[in-house]
Amino acid sequence: MSHARLTRWLLALPMGLLALATIYPLLFTGNVAMKTRREYVLDRFSVADAVRFDNVTGAWSSVGMGRYFLNSVIVVTAAVVLLLLLGSMAGFALSQIRFRGSSVLFLGCLAALFVPFQVIMVPLARVMADTGLIDTYAGLVLAYVAQFLPFTVFLMTSYYRTVAPEIIDAARIDGNTLYGVYRRIMLPIGAPALLSVGILNALFCWNDVLIALLMMPSAEHRTLMVGVTALRGQYSADIPTFAAGVLIAAAPVLLLYLFLQRQIADGVTAGATKG
Amino acid sequence: MSNRTHPPLRPASAGRAGGRSAQSPPPSAAAAPRRRARRGPRGERLAPYVLVAPAILIIVALRLWPLGLGVNFSFTGDGERNGAPVGFDNYADLFGDPLFRTALRNVGLLVLLLPIAVAIPGLLATFIYLRVPGHRFFRSVYFFPAVLSPVIVGAIFNLLLAFDGPLNALLAKVGLGPVDWLGDPGIAMFAVVGVHIWATFGMALVVFLAGFATLDGALLDAARVDGASLGQVIWHVIVPGLSRTIQFVFVTTMIGMLTSMFGLLYVMTSGGPEGSTYLPEYYIWIQQGQFNRPALASAASTVLFMIMLVVGLLQLSLLRRAVKES
Repeated sequence: MSHARLTRWLLALPMGLLALATIYPLLFTGNVAMKTRREYVLDRFSVADAVRFDNVTGAWSSVGMGRYFLNSVIVVTAAVVLLLLLGSMAGFALSQIRFRGSSVLFLGCLAALFVPFQVIMVPLARVMADTGLIDTYAGLVLAYVAQFLPFTVFLMTSYYRTVAPEIIDAARIDGNTLYGVYRRIMLPIGAPALLSVGILNALFCWNDVLIALLMMPSAEHRTLMVGVTALRGQYSADIPTFAAGVLIAAAPVLLLYLFLQRQIADGVTAGATKG
Repeated sequence: MSNRTHPPLRPASAGRAGGRSAQSPPPSAAAAPRRRARRGPRGERLAPYVLVAPAILIIVALRLWPLGLGVNFSFTGDGERNGAPVGFDNYADLFGDPLFRTALRNVGLLVLLLPIAVAIPGLLATFIYLRVPGHRFFRSVYFFPAVLSPVIVGAIFNLLLAFDGPLNALLAKVGLGPVDWLGDPGIAMFAVVGVHIWATFGMALVVFLAGFATLDGALLDAARVDGASLGQVIWHVIVPGLSRTIQFVFVTTMIGMLTSMFGLLYVMTSGGPEGSTYLPEYYIWIQQGQFNRPALASAASTVLFMIMLVVGLLQLSLLRRAVKES
């Protein structure tokens, strides 16, 4: 017994070191973001001599991170709302209503799940260019919706399969159409799944760089992540400003993680256990 | 996949619903429901299609149709021969390009490193499951980098792995010479893959932990009562018990390595030094975005798709056999 306990404590040591290695890079970046340029050049490791947000405000206003932040918020919000709406509608129909072709449609969604973006990015860029959607907010939103919709439909379908058909029958007897059932029953019942899937989709869209680079070439349309990559080239000599920009881009995700860690982990595992 | 697990559905509910309201409207039905019932049958029969249509249209138009379009592109020419059929010329160009061959070699490297990328989160999940002191804390810390964008992670490690950065300073303290992590063609790819593993092992860890939740605890206790060592417990109880989870993590980790390293490559090395950190996805981006050769890029896309199919099928069959033998 005590032998087992000893083993556990011995295991905790390297695990603690690894935890440190996991947190340290972010602490280092946060520290650098508070330093002056001079301070950084003199000693990269010293703790910043004051809690200072000059670099953050500088990156926000003069470097344009504020603008990019706004772009990201607009695009991600629109994409997530659309994803949840379309995903829950399709999930309801595919899980609870039997109709001709439903299993073919569900298989089509599954197949799309296995087509990575890299494989379709060239033709997709051409389709977007042909339809005039390239370099527009709508185009990027559509690209995100197309990218994450199969996953959303899949998860919502498996969630709605657990809903007892009696609930729907009861609602129909009360005189609801299928649309009414969707709006009054399925949307509220689906709330926990919608929250998980919504958070996950928000993370995916917020963190993406490849799709945004491809769909939004012009500088004023940059999303935050594209902005960070541009920052790297422009401010390679001004590391503290660069670090501040990185922090701005990471901040919403940090906050999300602090408050909704459970839902994020649930979303990740839902895909695994229901596959 | 899980399509067969459809719970017994109500027989043709849409049709039945229409019939029901036509024959015997519920007694409480006032004017409004009756109006709905009259309009009902056709509207109700169409309802499921109306509900799935937007999702299906987007998926077909922007995912499945481009896939076919891309394969088609790969057999046409670029530039002056734009649109003209060229047979397998693009594929010949592709395999003649040293950069693409490097990209393929790097895919091979990823396959070799895959067991490490799966074993690390697997072991850590085991320790957390065995309730190492502080397991809750470890769990939330380890998962954290997995939610960060590859761009953020890459940017941070650009600072850390700089030639005069903290990691080399740490090494200097123990008397090891500075390493040019991102500047040495022999090392850069390992550095990028290492960062990728650092950034994503939390994802696999959480999946493993979900798998552990389904493991029979009595089996573990029995093994321990019989005096099995930690290694024996892992090998004889945990690995066979988690075979499905392990399979899943293998496949998703490989897919992750093939499709979600773009951000890291773009920020950390831009494919350099000397083109040593190319992966197919980066090659596709460069040919499409920088060299304006969409047809060649499409050929690379098609090859990447094939690689992913082969890798997925191979791993599944290998693992299935391994599990049967043990």
